[in-house]
Amino acid sequence: MTLLTDIWFQLQRHLRTQIRMPVWIVINLVQPILWLLLFTQVFKSLATLPGLGGFSYLQFFAPGVMVMTVMFGSAWAGMGMLQDIDMGVLSKTLATPVTRVSILMSRVLASMIVLIVQALVIFTIAIIMGVHLETGAPGVLFTILLISLLGLGFAAFSNGLALLLRRAEPLIGIINLATMPMMFLSSTMMATSLLPGWLNTVRRFNPVDYAVVGVRDLVLHGYIWSDLWRSLVVLFCWAVAGMAFGLMMFRVKAE
Amino acid sequence: MAEQNVNLCFRGLRKRLDVSFLLPRRTKWSILNTDPLGRLGAIANIMSVIATHQLTKIYPGGTKAVDGIDFEVNAGEIFGFLGPNGAGKTTTIKMLNTLIQPTSGTAAVAGFDILKNPDEVRRHIGYVAQDVGVDEYGTGRENLELYGHFYRLDGKTIKKRVEELFKLVDLSGYEDKIVSTYSGGMRKRLDIAMGLIHKPDVIFLDEPTVGLDPQTRVHIWEYIHNLAKAMGTTIFLTTHYMEEADHLADRIAIIDLGKIIALGTPNELKQSISGDVVTLSPCAVKDAECKEVIRHAQSVLSGESFVIGTQATDGELAVYVDKGESAVPSIMRILAGQGIEVKTISLARPSLEDVFLKYTGRTIRPQEGAHTTYAEMQRKRMRRQR
Repeated sequence: MTLLTDIWFQLQRHLRTQIRMPVWIVINLVQPILWLLLFTQVFKSLATLPGLGGFSYLQFFAPGVMVMTVMFGSAWAGMGMLQDIDMGVLSKTLATPVTRVSILMSRVLASMIVLIVQALVIFTIAIIMGVHLETGAPGVLFTILLISLLGLGFAAFSNGLALLLRRAEPLIGIINLATMPMMFLSSTMMATSLLPGWLNTVRRFNPVDYAVVGVRDLVLHGYIWSDLWRSLVVLFCWAVAGMAFGLMMFRVKAE
Repeated sequence: MAEQNVNLCFRGLRKRLDVSFLLPRRTKWSILNTDPLGRLGAIANIMSVIATHQLTKIYPGGTKAVDGIDFEVNAGEIFGFLGPNGAGKTTTIKMLNTLIQPTSGTAAVAGFDILKNPDEVRRHIGYVAQDVGVDEYGTGRENLELYGHFYRLDGKTIKKRVEELFKLVDLSGYEDKIVSTYSGGMRKRLDIAMGLIHKPDVIFLDEPTVGLDPQTRVHIWEYIHNLAKAMGTTIFLTTHYMEEADHLADRIAIIDLGKIIALGTPNELKQSISGDVVTLSPCAVKDAECKEVIRHAQSVLSGESFVIGTQATDGELAVYVDKGESAVPSIMRILAGQGIEVKTISLARPSLEDVFLKYTGRTIRPQEGAHTTYAEMQRKRMRRQR
């Protein structure tokens, strides 16, 4: 009970901070809009390739943009924790009887809420641009479930790294280093049938790819349960692993 | 011994009970704070609000930050922990407020063991860190309310306490302003208020005025003083400012290299140095030659019957004498006879600075608070990373 109230009050603080600094949310949204508008123009002729199954590149790429936004947004979640460490907010909080795990959980939860809002905005823009949603409103909910798990994992890992590294420079470095290949070593931008064989092997170890495959099914093809189950299980494990790492770092480094 | 402790506790208790007379308009608050029935038993058992036993912290890498210290803090007193940077002050505070674990030894805070019962300790203490740990993007009220929730106060109590505390720290009218618009002194006051929201038995203030300009510092002193005297809150305060410890603390422990080297009231400590202090310097520049001259002067003066003791520092010589007024001409004459020209000379009653010098052979070099140097920031950063 105290855990829930502790999370609730800190969650309010984190969301308030986000709302008062909307510039970050805007930047995080402008980028995917640019992807949707410009990237799809550059690669427009790709639609003639057989692997895309007759869909326009915009239609094909929109799920990828959604996943990328979630990944890039939540991977930076640790910066907030870092700031709390730097300003002395964390140690001051730890000297109160507040439930320890609520400190990390409220941060991760705040990241998830922000990314869900972002995803909904991207959905809206994509639909306005003419993207067709095969599974409709239930598909949107399913999509949110998948990307929430992905984002939860990233946010938790990022917070754990912030606690471990305690400095902005290495944290920024690692986030950049990790997210870029995670984006390219997946089917985010290209159909699986058109990827080289080694990449098709590598992407099976990439949680981002499972999110892309799942969301793409929901947007383009409908409920392909063999894919969806696999995505759901893998992303759930990814989220649990992230949380475990974050909590472990919290225990070791903050307490 | 035990009886004495009990007496001290009751003195602390009386201070708490006195509140209603001192603060007629805040009677309700004071009654809450005294809570006579609830605490009487508890305090009689606790006797001291803080008691450490061979408290030791060795950081990975072998740095012995705190080296087996023993001390007690009585209810209602302001206890000053005075020492230079790196003496082990913050490490001690962090052990007492459960942020780090001691390597060996233990302590009881507000009647609870810091190792066995950290959660209870946290419930009964307030912590005001060296860094102002307030949320920059929240308002003053939001910051305070969040802490009220952390201490599990109900909404109504929080609302009332927030109003009272903003008055106490003189921030009324700024409740709903974002903290990033506050000045440094205002942030510190909010910071202190946050540590008080749950009426803790003891509040830890770690270098409360570091980085503040002199006027603000005096203001903060006033708040701290009022807090202790009007509300009966026990205060554990660390500082490397002599005048701060002298001005505020009922008792002072001088800590250096992780050990307590002297403990007593400011007056007791000063009286441990009998007589006056004559401080002189025979050189214009501090070089090797200067050191040599000072050593010479020291050996000459040590032999004189009116000199109680001497202590050489970087460029200066402190001479402890019985009667300063008559000693100054004698010192001048004796040194002139040795061919030593005294460039500057001053006479003073012993200060805490002299006490520190006597026990450690070094001076505390207080950094000017208003100018936080880059080196100091780096040091703070390092501290956080441990």
